[in-house]
Amino acid sequence: MATMKPKSLTLRSYQVGFGDCFLLTFHYNGKTHDRHVLIDFGSTGQKKSMGENLMVRVAEDIKKETGGKLHAIVATHRHKDHISGFATNAKGTASGDIIASCNPDVVIQPWTEHPKAKPTDKQAPSTMTKTQSFVNSLRSMHEIAESVLIEADRRQKQKALGPVMHRELTFLGDDNLSNMSAVENLMNMGKKHFYVNYGTRSGLESVLPGVKIRVLGPPNMKQSEEITTQRSKDEDEFWQLQAMSNKFVIQSNPKVFPKAKIYSPTNGPGATRWFVQRVRALRGEQLLSIVRALDKVMNNTSIILLFEVGGKKLLFPGDAQIENWSYALSKPAVKRMLAGVDLYKVGHHGSRNATPRSLWDGFTKRSDKQTKNRLETFCSTMPGKHGKAVSKTEVPRKTLVDALKSLSNYHTTEELKGKSIRLDHTINFK
Amino acid sequence: MTANTTPRTRTLTIIAQDPSVRVGGKILRAQVEVPAEELAPGPWGYRVHVVDYDSSTGSQYRPIKYPPIGTNKNGDGDPFFKATDANLLSDPNFHAQNVYAIVMRILARFEFALGRRVSWGFYGHQIKVAPHAFADANAFYSEDDQALMFGYFPGLTHMVFCCLSHDIVAHETSHALLDGLRTRFTDPSSPEQAAFHEGFADVVALLSVFALPGIVETIIDINAPGKNTSQIARKYTTADALRKSMLLGLAKEMGQELPTIRGDVLRRSVELAPSRKYIHDLEFMEPHRRGEIFVAAVMNSFVEVWAKRLEALGKADQLDRGRVVEEGAMIADYLLTMVIRALDYTPPVNLEFCDFLSAVLTSDREINPNDSRYHFRDILRKTFVSYGIDPAATGTEEEPGIWDAPKAGLNYDLVHFESMQRDRDEVFRFIWQNRGSEALDLYDDSYTRVLSLRPCLRVGPDGFALRETVVEYMQIVTVIAGELGRLKIKVPEGMAADQELMLYGGGTLIFDEYGRVKYHITNKVNHSERQEQRLKYLWEYGYYRDPSSFRNFANLHRKKRMAPFADSIRQEW
Repeated sequence: MATMKPKSLTLRSYQVGFGDCFLLTFHYNGKTHDRHVLIDFGSTGQKKSMGENLMVRVAEDIKKETGGKLHAIVATHRHKDHISGFATNAKGTASGDIIASCNPDVVIQPWTEHPKAKPTDKQAPSTMTKTQSFVNSLRSMHEIAESVLIEADRRQKQKALGPVMHRELTFLGDDNLSNMSAVENLMNMGKKHFYVNYGTRSGLESVLPGVKIRVLGPPNMKQSEEITTQRSKDEDEFWQLQAMSNKFVIQSNPKVFPKAKIYSPTNGPGATRWFVQRVRALRGEQLLSIVRALDKVMNNTSIILLFEVGGKKLLFPGDAQIENWSYALSKPAVKRMLAGVDLYKVGHHGSRNATPRSLWDGFTKRSDKQTKNRLETFCSTMPGKHGKAVSKTEVPRKTLVDALKSLSNYHTTEELKGKSIRLDHTINFK
Repeated sequence: MTANTTPRTRTLTIIAQDPSVRVGGKILRAQVEVPAEELAPGPWGYRVHVVDYDSSTGSQYRPIKYPPIGTNKNGDGDPFFKATDANLLSDPNFHAQNVYAIVMRILARFEFALGRRVSWGFYGHQIKVAPHAFADANAFYSEDDQALMFGYFPGLTHMVFCCLSHDIVAHETSHALLDGLRTRFTDPSSPEQAAFHEGFADVVALLSVFALPGIVETIIDINAPGKNTSQIARKYTTADALRKSMLLGLAKEMGQELPTIRGDVLRRSVELAPSRKYIHDLEFMEPHRRGEIFVAAVMNSFVEVWAKRLEALGKADQLDRGRVVEEGAMIADYLLTMVIRALDYTPPVNLEFCDFLSAVLTSDREINPNDSRYHFRDILRKTFVSYGIDPAATGTEEEPGIWDAPKAGLNYDLVHFESMQRDRDEVFRFIWQNRGSEALDLYDDSYTRVLSLRPCLRVGPDGFALRETVVEYMQIVTVIAGELGRLKIKVPEGMAADQELMLYGGGTLIFDEYGRVKYHITNKVNHSERQEQRLKYLWEYGYYRDPSSFRNFANLHRKKRMAPFADSIRQEW
């Protein structure tokens, strides 16, 4: 096996609506030697035309294509649009049950998912390590997401929240829930688990002989501190406070001042009504900015993988945003290595801040002509779900898509017509 | 005819700093005097309207009625004069009183310093204050909502209310007042202008807490041993000792309850040792961080003046504790007046710290020509310089750093003295007629308007009145990036030639009691070096992509905690 090298790769980009699901099959000599790696399987919204049970159909297709055997699963980060497909149900018929039946040998997740990194509930913040504190912050974020969803629903019922704001809050809040079923399934699947950060072994080496795999992100706490001049503990504490505040608020019928007299909801003095409406609107904006911020932090725990095989370089960055990328891009050797990328999985569904311009500008195989070695780019996305064009936050971001189209062979799940669920692409190696 | 016996002030109970500062296990309170008025329930007075609506729980608390002024002999109309600590914490009506009294006190402080009424930065006379606006560890001034918003959150052992922290309320009130005085200081400009808003608000918060009776004693008791005697050892009164005990002590006290909101910022400012490097350091481009340089310069000046004053009290090994405290509170109070007064002497747009330094030196010299007792000006100038902030003007040999006298070619022939005191159009006529290079030297090809005209009457330490009229005017030029060369301004790297841009400039005119210009303080619209720096900063930090994020204190406060990587914006699509 040590001398084995794959001859080609089939990349299957699945239609999961707004989410990611990529099946990489490395073809070695003879079909029995194919190696299958699933990178992410999640969704937060699908086109109605895709019909019911899309995730189950995708899982069944994965099972079929792999012959019922997955060699590795990479769950780049904990967002629903990357892992919801791993969720199971009591009957054992959910998409996650089907994937689990493919018995993956290896499951790879970011360092932030390491079970030992989780602090116990009783641990006082002062005795926490930075790592534990950060992981605890991530957990706090799930709690915030959960409470934001509850508050958003309650406020909509009170007519204190408009439909657009409600939709956006629900989308972001939902994506940031803890997805416990999927997380537990990932934990139980696989003979070996690897929790990776920049520079560590990927865990895929034994599965993919002849392929060099580098982990370029996420940086761990120590590494991120190297590139930030002033990263205080403020951020962690901020999330803890947010979690506490919001947890408090969602308790049924919260009373900050139990003995205080209050006006009935419609009976406040006339001179205060304009202002009361303003504070209500402001709260909506505030919740949105909180979930947006936590969405970003979670994206930045994404694994970034670079596969090097047969003279080709394939880059899979999950949803890593600029802050995650910054560490890798601060290393001149890594920048040089990335210059030669042949295949790029577009980060974060084509959002404006997950394909750093300096990364993109460095790709030497970009070309405005149909050259033989032109850069191939793959994007799994669904317009109209996330952000707004007017604020230049739409996903996929138009200016990025324009660049991808003009300077690379751009493939997107948006191309899939009717009920087809897969886009296949083959790359031959030397 | 009977004499007017209506009291001029009402005394109200507030929490001196926050509920964590205690003496003998009890919350340290203060009885503060605020301008007397007949309050409507809220409290709702002529400048402040407290509306206690909590958007997280959807509850609006019913306010209490306040007794008429002068009728209640016990506590002079203060419903919480005899309240227990538990009452203070658990009654939202006390929280409402606490914010009302602190906002009014800061407002009164500004009006006293400036010698006139001071308006808020929005159309309206009464600022709304929401003491429990939401469950969030945040507090901010919102110009759009004409309000100050204070959040609350569950701490490790008890609920933490931002509205009960004196320094937070004072800080946010200062934002609102500064916005009223210099409305263009919230414009997107250099990082230093945004930093000034934060730093100035911190300085007002710190100095106004210091000036409060009780706080200095408490901090001294905590940090300098021997609190049972009436003496304090000389070694505890050096500048260095006072910095460590008093400034750091207060910063720590302030940080106890709200580490993420205030504590670290104040502590970092106080611990920032003098260096001329910060001002050029990329780390200090973030407005809050840059504001710390300003806070450090002012607060270290405070300590230096105080220590120097204590040195002058004789050579005994022990000093009278009461005297040390009294001098500290008095110096804090005077310095607070100085920094507020200086605002009138700042340019109306694109402020930098160096402008403020010249402003404070000049405005103080106008009202207090003899600085030999405390050496405030000398110490302020030296301390600012030690932090890399040199005065914007050269000044004179006796008074280095003060603004220059205006050009001699001003023409007063066609305007009327009386109208110039109250009529913006008349002042504009004066500006227009003097637009030539030999007089005010305005930029020809731009829109010009008078922003404000403010007559004021200040009283100097010698008891004499100083009458001045302060006028702000601004100029706006709309250009595309490709035209910047004409103004000798370099286009920021990567900016498209057709990018539309607005350049701001302007000046402040200080008229003396005879209606003559004493000072013309400018930041010209064609100041190529400053405009270039400003455009570069705005371009690199994403203003032209998302302008809304630059004019919002709620975002600014959250951004601080989410401290972005310096280059993230440049990497976006």
